[in-house]
Amino acid sequence: MRELFITLLVAVLAAAPAFAARTGELAPTFALASAAGDTVDLARLRGRVVYVDFWASWCTPCKRSFPWMNELEVRYHDSGLTIVAINVDKRREDALRFLRDVPARFTVVFDAEGKTPAAFDVKGMPSSYLIDREGRVAAVEEGFHDERTTVIEQRIRALLDRK
Amino acid sequence: MRLPLKAGAAAPDGEAATDPPRISERSAALIAAALALPGILPSHAHAQTAPDEGVVALRYLDYRDWQPGARRMTVRNPSLYALVPLGSSFAVEGSVIYDAMSGASPLYHDTLSGASGLGVTDYRTAGDARLTKYIDGNALAFGVAGSYERDYKSRAASFEWRRASADRNTTFAVGVAATRDSIDSANGVARNQHRETYDFLLGVTQVLSSDSLVESSLTWSDGRGYYSDPYKLLDTRPDRRRIFAWLTRYNRYLPGPDATLRVAYRYLDDSFGDRSHMVEASWVQTLPRGFTLTPTLRYYTQGAANFYRDPPFPEGSVQGEPYTADTRLSAYGAITAGMRLAKSFPGGVTADVAFTFYRQRAGWRAGGGGSSGLLEFSARWIEFGLEKRF
Amino acid sequence: MAFPLGILAILGVASVAAGCATVDPPKPWEKGDLARPSMRFDAEPLAARATTHVYQSKEGAAGGGAVGGGGCGCN
Repeated sequence: MRELFITLLVAVLAAAPAFAARTGELAPTFALASAAGDTVDLARLRGRVVYVDFWASWCTPCKRSFPWMNELEVRYHDSGLTIVAINVDKRREDALRFLRDVPARFTVVFDAEGKTPAAFDVKGMPSSYLIDREGRVAAVEEGFHDERTTVIEQRIRALLDRK
Repeated sequence: MRLPLKAGAAAPDGEAATDPPRISERSAALIAAALALPGILPSHAHAQTAPDEGVVALRYLDYRDWQPGARRMTVRNPSLYALVPLGSSFAVEGSVIYDAMSGASPLYHDTLSGASGLGVTDYRTAGDARLTKYIDGNALAFGVAGSYERDYKSRAASFEWRRASADRNTTFAVGVAATRDSIDSANGVARNQHRETYDFLLGVTQVLSSDSLVESSLTWSDGRGYYSDPYKLLDTRPDRRRIFAWLTRYNRYLPGPDATLRVAYRYLDDSFGDRSHMVEASWVQTLPRGFTLTPTLRYYTQGAANFYRDPPFPEGSVQGEPYTADTRLSAYGAITAGMRLAKSFPGGVTADVAFTFYRQRAGWRAGGGGSSGLLEFSARWIEFGLEKRF
Repeated sequence: MAFPLGILAILGVASVAAGCATVDPPKPWEKGDLARPSMRFDAEPLAARATTHVYQSKEGAAGGGAVGGGGCGCN
């Protein structure tokens, strides 16, 4: 009886649709490979504040967002911030070419199939999701706008302070 | 909307090659039975949000035309364009184009006499500017344009609203424009004449897939005023011109060959009677080392205006009725073949060179029925362009 | 004069776009190819102006217009 219950529970959970990433809800999980080959697993980052950014080589605002994210990485990594930039280019070489021109100090992973942006229900490029230490989506930003950076940074600091 | 640019040279026709060129021919070449059918100003500005990058572009076009045994006309067109984003919700753009025409476009029978005009060049300057405001997936654009030369001045203003759907895959546009032209011919035939035109545009762009999209637009134009060519004897045109144009364009990227196919079709109906069709195709081929090669083929066919009469002049003209022998309003077909090579350099710089060849023949009119008594007309133009994005 | 034809034109294009089996509007992260300059209708304003300029003088009527839209949809 208990085995049946557990089986049913697992089946229901497995069949459950992916969460759209709305604020307050648990962020969808992902485990993606970086250029070096190691896997970045969102579940393992529980306890840190995670800034997930969806980017592509063809997204011109990303040329401006990367230097800013580099600054965030330098300022807040030790305080508990992890930046994960998920690339959605169909071709890896396009992404690598972008990274040569606009280097990243933060973690970059690749999802050419687009499963992760679909799970997060990304509405525009670029999009960023700020995830708190409990794994919940704290804020969603669509597009990259210079005038929003101060607010986002304030939010990051607020989440980092919440230990 | 694109503010009307003035039409240029008068139609070639069978004038004897021995007549000396006259000053007014260049002016006449610049005056048009002018159609200023506006379209939206071709622009770097997108529907959705203010552009991220500014653009500065320079271009130089060298044009030459000829007919069998007849004189040549040459035109040199330097031009400049700039787009500057202002903050995150405004963009301003503008362009200036300069025409320097020399040589002669053979006119059939014009009223000027005496002036030698050899080696004289006529000039025209035209410019436009547009300011766009972006709010939340909408773009509102206000534009002005003007064209100035000795005997023809044109001023226009336009307004356009574009709106993108939430998923940015569908974009709608609606636009209006008003133009006022003043004509004062050097020979005194047209003294203080005017023309006013109003244009209305409706259009939609639909992204069909991750590799293809289509755009279709309808334009209605209603003009009243002076349309005749004062440098042509007996040329009398209606004082009202209504035009309807339907333009559809389709782009498809092909990952296999790493190339883009671009096709366009335009249907145009004109109360003057010269209905026309235009179809054009380009193949944008990516090559190694940042090069792009683009061949283009275009076919154009038009019917004659209701009041066009075949040579010999002035057969068919009736006192008090509209009449023209201007071969630009005759029935013919035309083919264009062009090739463009572009190279992109680091730092957002692109350079390109293009060569285009054009030929008009009455016999090429679709379905036959081209106007008789006309010489073949040919032209070629070479372009050099430089663009920097910043 | 042209009004009924205009309606027909709109309906024609709308039905082609709607009924076309290959209409499969992409998700925001799938728009890379649409961002290519060759895929844009508005990528080269000066070249387009120069060409239209020439055709207007030879054929009298150039026209129709660009709508905008397409592209990567960024920001």
